[in-house]
Amino acid sequence: MCFADSGSGHQADGFSLTLERVETMLDAFVAAEGDPEAVQFSGGEPSIHPQILEMLAAAKRRGIRLVMLNTNGIRLARDPRFAPALAEIGIHVYLQFDGFDDATHVAIRGRKLQDEKRRALDRCAAAGLSVSLAAAIERGVNEHEIGAIVRFGVEHPAVNGVFFQPVTHSGRHLDFDPLERMTNSDVIAAVAEQLPEWFREDDFIAVPCCSPTCRSATYALYDGEDLVPLPRLVDVEEYLDYVTNRAVPDLDIRQALEGLFSASAAGGTEPTGERLDCVACGVGLPLQLQEVAAKGFMIVTQDFQDPWTLDVRKLMKCCVSEIVPDGRLIPFCAYNSVGYREQVRAELSAQRGAAR
Amino acid sequence: MSTASDQFAALAQGEFAGCCAELYEQPAVSWLLDGQLHPGGKQLTLRAAQLAGVGAGSRVLDVASGAGTTALLLAEKLGAEVIGVEHGSEAVQRASTAAQAAGLDGAVSFQTGDARSLPLPDASVDAILCECSLCLFEDKATAIGEIARVLRPGASVVIADVTVGPGALPAPLQTAAARVACIADALALDGYEQLLRDAGLQLGHSESHRRAIAAMADRIEARLRAARIMRVPALEPFRGELDAAIELAQITQRAIADEIVGYALIAARRPS
Repeated sequence: MCFADSGSGHQADGFSLTLERVETMLDAFVAAEGDPEAVQFSGGEPSIHPQILEMLAAAKRRGIRLVMLNTNGIRLARDPRFAPALAEIGIHVYLQFDGFDDATHVAIRGRKLQDEKRRALDRCAAAGLSVSLAAAIERGVNEHEIGAIVRFGVEHPAVNGVFFQPVTHSGRHLDFDPLERMTNSDVIAAVAEQLPEWFREDDFIAVPCCSPTCRSATYALYDGEDLVPLPRLVDVEEYLDYVTNRAVPDLDIRQALEGLFSASAAGGTEPTGERLDCVACGVGLPLQLQEVAAKGFMIVTQDFQDPWTLDVRKLMKCCVSEIVPDGRLIPFCAYNSVGYREQVRAELSAQRGAAR
Repeated sequence: MSTASDQFAALAQGEFAGCCAELYEQPAVSWLLDGQLHPGGKQLTLRAAQLAGVGAGSRVLDVASGAGTTALLLAEKLGAEVIGVEHGSEAVQRASTAAQAAGLDGAVSFQTGDARSLPLPDASVDAILCECSLCLFEDKATAIGEIARVLRPGASVVIADVTVGPGALPAPLQTAAARVACIADALALDGYEQLLRDAGLQLGHSESHRRAIAAMADRIEARLRAARIMRVPALEPFRGELDAAIELAQITQRAIADEIVGYALIAARRPS
């Protein structure tokens, strides 16, 4: 759920949600999903909402397994009480982390942020929080940093995954050449090219949910020295076959792979052992990992749609919804591409104006 | 049953006959291979069966039938009647149990036997498959002679096997361990073809499946590294040897990439 319009909660027409409203939205989400897997609080910058901790706790209280806070990390870096408070509630941090060059930060976020990002991550590690790095990748801006972002994440104790998002050209990013857009394939090629000692292109699997062209992922084991991508251990194609032509899908394997690579998965939200037991269902990986200091690490590239690429068939299978204040669940890519965002913003701004 | 390391030791001393059937049943080996004893899996087995002309009701011999995977597949998918001959008696027992469990014991049968003297009459089968096992046999000419003897006139054999060359194998791939891994004792494609011709068979279609063996080598290398990271119980007895095994796997990957090691299906027919 989004806390403010894209850009900043401080803008003249920005809006904030109340705790009460958020609880209503969460109730609608739980009612719609039954057994909800994941919710992400995003923004704007949700961490500056005065009641963010109560809101996150409200989500956990409803039994949503993975509650994520999408943040720029500034509050984590500056407020020493924030990371421990998130850890106590059991939150997964989804930290915007676009690279290391000054130019990257200025181009994508409008300011230099790397020192604060690192301080935020170190505080997360100290508090025992698990973190996914979320990197917006734009051609000609930071595609050369993809490998370095993965390496940094693999080696940082708090980080269990990287989510690459080719920059979508909706909202504030409208001015661009559609023939120059970054795609999932471009991100995967860059990972393989920049980290040849760890990854090949075929380590990534196109995940059926939402649609194979929306999301590709891989999961790797790392012990401080060596890194092994998990898809190399099994004949993944054989197990993904059910998507296209299995008459009788093998449900164990289907669940294992879907669980590992689904849209609601975040690296490290379950113990590594549990995850590997899961991928091992029926494929011969008898593991006792509790004593092993290996870390599981997930890389996802998620190509959200924008007005240039919007495909209604994909929207119909969408697994990532935006919860809007009136309780509707709207496919994420539709929310950002066909006017819902603007509609919600106008409604909330009007309400706030009336309340003044 | 002897342990895998005993068997490696025996190999180093040249006591080769009959080792491999048991070795391939060791938990460590089956974990590494993920149950897939030859490149290409079921898909390539079905391709080999197609080249051998296997159809419903065909009487098929599977030479070195192992745990019976291929025999059961051919019976189930193609309706063939399959006889599996295998050196290891435990494997025969296991394959027979699996056939019963699958309700296919009417269509498939397994017996112990030696490829150097197959326990079958002359001209008694409609097709023969020999997957990734000829490379293990010391006396390949005798084994192919036996294959030619039991094929009925007009029937075909398909050899699916590791190929080497052109170019010499790197030294580490000429060891006992590499021999068990089907590499050190493999022949060049034309070496297999020559043996088939020498046994009086007519060569048919041959095809290279380099990608299949590359995928298998990749999986074994990744599983060895995963075992080093995760302390997989099946591999723990060999912890001290993992680094060397990983190096050997990587040398194999390079030899495949350099086209020194490959995999091929080779069909040959007994003249009518």
